[in-house]
Amino acid sequence: MSSTEQGTSSAAPAEPTTAPESAAAPEVPESFYYVHGKDKVVHKVSAGALQHSALIHGMISNLGYTEEQAKANPFPFENIDGDILQMVVDWCNQHKGKPTPPEDTNLPKQKEKLFDLVLAVNYLEIKELLTYCCKQVAMMVKGKSPEEIREIWMIPTDAEDEAAEKEAKKRAGKEAAGETAAAAGDAK
Amino acid sequence: MSSNIENFTEITEKSTAEPIYDTNWCHMPAEIKLKCIGKMEINERLSLRCTANAERSLVDSQKIEFYRGCFEGDDEEFRVFLNRNHRNYSKRSDDKNQFFEWINYIKKVGVFEKLVISFEDSLVDYEQFITNDGLFTAKNVKFSYCDFDNMIAVLRKLKDGVESIEINLTFTAFDELAEIYEIPQMWINRNSKIGTTFQVSINEIDGSFDEFLEQFTDRIVSTGEKRARIRTNNLDRHILLERGVDDVITIDFLIKFFRLMVISAEMKESEYEDDCKEWICKMNPEIYDYYDSESSFEESGDDSEDSDSQEE
Repeated sequence: MSSTEQGTSSAAPAEPTTAPESAAAPEVPESFYYVHGKDKVVHKVSAGALQHSALIHGMISNLGYTEEQAKANPFPFENIDGDILQMVVDWCNQHKGKPTPPEDTNLPKQKEKLFDLVLAVNYLEIKELLTYCCKQVAMMVKGKSPEEIREIWMIPTDAEDEAAEKEAKKRAGKEAAGETAAAAGDAK
Repeated sequence: MSSNIENFTEITEKSTAEPIYDTNWCHMPAEIKLKCIGKMEINERLSLRCTANAERSLVDSQKIEFYRGCFEGDDEEFRVFLNRNHRNYSKRSDDKNQFFEWINYIKKVGVFEKLVISFEDSLVDYEQFITNDGLFTAKNVKFSYCDFDNMIAVLRKLKDGVESIEINLTFTAFDELAEIYEIPQMWINRNSKIGTTFQVSINEIDGSFDEFLEQFTDRIVSTGEKRARIRTNNLDRHILLERGVDDVITIDFLIKFFRLMVISAEMKESEYEDDCKEWICKMNPEIYDYYDSESSFEESGDDSEDSDSQEE
């Protein structure tokens, strides 16, 4: 279960609101941590839900944060879009302490979102979700011809690849020549 | 605690230094692409490998498991039947070049539980088949009505780890049967592992047991009705030749079953196992059901006329 609130770009994040975790109150109070993505929206997530992420689990396992410290030090994932991080947090909450089903049909169908989710999940090391995502990516090209796949996934042809490589080399050569000339000018 | 916080800050600083991700297949790291390819079925992999050279290299680096793969060919066309995750895939082609280009891909990536090869016409003149050095990865291999030279070419292209090889030769390959003697000869020369086994069933070859022994007269340690034992160059190892004969598969039976096995020279005759039914069934699972007269009567039910004529 998570709560989100639009934060600011300052170091101290905005106070997040909290939604009830579950109907049955746990005997031992559960610890919570805070994460935010590129949009600075802070998500409150339980340690149990975060166990899905090997990266975050590794980070928090020895921290021993108090609630206050956790609030003051949200995990910043500036490389993950806010809506993508929201999806990840939701998935972790939905599957907290539960065996993961063989299929997950709630993943985004939209190509860009799915790829962003794959990359975020890979970064956060959420193994089961990554498996679902990769399956979904594979489904995108089910029954498609090479031309259709090239179009869907914007795969450049070998000729386009070669042209881009030549262009990059040319640019790098020009830059190197410019730097040499500048260095020679400085020496004079 | 403070050191933990410092570590945490360090980790998060690292994470914020990561580049902002793009959302295009081409910008996905290779390890993720490979995971996605791992979830694709054969047709999608084939399509993806045709999009660009970089994708082809990735697809070709990913193994794909098949329960069964059957490669067939005659003078009219070539066929491939693949079975994976309870799904069947097939491809037919009358263009030899196209077919073998495809086979070479499957050979490179396929991991077969069962592999069936049936190329009736010789492919020895076909360089792409003979000289291609890619290897098949398979547990159980069966040659069904396969040209002998094609079979030898495929046998040379098998990766280690094969558990069984079943060979059903055609009559035209009968003259080449002597090649089978090369198997014990290879074991004699190469110090093969104890337990290495070769089983073969042969149709209508009278006296083949004696013919076999004639090849190794100077090496015979002992011989009997069902078994013969020969020396190898390693004093610790012998080769046991067994003839599959029992109450059902009798000595006059149309099909002859043989088993060759590397054994310890210390093995006593009392330690021989009477398990021919078991190893015959491995080669031909239905043979006992078919020829065991008792079960034939049970299955034939009220149709006693047919049963009687079968018995005769």
